[in-house]
Amino acid sequence: MDTQQSDTLLLPQEVLLSAGVHIGTRVKTKDMIPFIYKVRPDGLFVLDMDKMNERVKVAAKFISRMDISRVAVASSKRYGRLPVHKFCEVTGAHPLVARFTSGTFTNPTYSHYFEPVAVIVTDALADQQIVVEATAVGVPVIALCSTDNNLSNVDLIIPINNKGRRSLAIAYWLLARQLKRELKELTPEQEFSVSIDDFESTM
Amino acid sequence: MPSCISCSKRIAPGEKTVKFPCPSCGTVTIWRCERCRLFGRTYTCPGCGFKGP
Repeated sequence: MDTQQSDTLLLPQEVLLSAGVHIGTRVKTKDMIPFIYKVRPDGLFVLDMDKMNERVKVAAKFISRMDISRVAVASSKRYGRLPVHKFCEVTGAHPLVARFTSGTFTNPTYSHYFEPVAVIVTDALADQQIVVEATAVGVPVIALCSTDNNLSNVDLIIPINNKGRRSLAIAYWLLARQLKRELKELTPEQEFSVSIDDFESTM
Repeated sequence: MPSCISCSKRIAPGEKTVKFPCPSCGTVTIWRCERCRLFGRTYTCPGCGFKGP
């Protein structure tokens, strides 16, 4: 990664590196090859931070064109629950955390039925049921993907470490801030009132 | 009749597809057929050249 590209990152490179947003797993899938920067000597695949940066901007632009109150944000992962709640609190999206009941998107007679316009999932593998239902109703799926995810039924990916506590906090914080900027509620010079620590799940 | 952006297959009404404006430019409507979505085939926006997913 050269210096010129690093200047355009949404957060200082040191903050991103210390949170480990670029760290993948020891498994790589064919779908994720374009987003992999290198392999570390210990066998861990490293994600390309410039591509991650670009995808966060694209995803924010994509979501900003929709009715945000009908965008479902899901996480069945423990460390993703608080970031998702905070993201929804800040942006007004609909949170779907913990256990997902089948039929939430497909059964109109179900009491908690929700009709989304787009779905954001923390892990396409862990939130598989949500991806399946979103596919059945024909809504676009945005997924945070690490090196071991495949892109089946996903329409837009954000290549980022979706396993780390700090990494997930940064992912949702960046997305929320960028979304606010796209909606002109925040200028690029303005500080975002919510800190990354507010998004971070406690142990 | 719309066609899939990846495989150019014609999409009949009632098929399990997805349509959305290009995530990058928002001007072009992208249609993806069930198979291309399932296999995670790449799509390119004819308007801005954005490559997804």
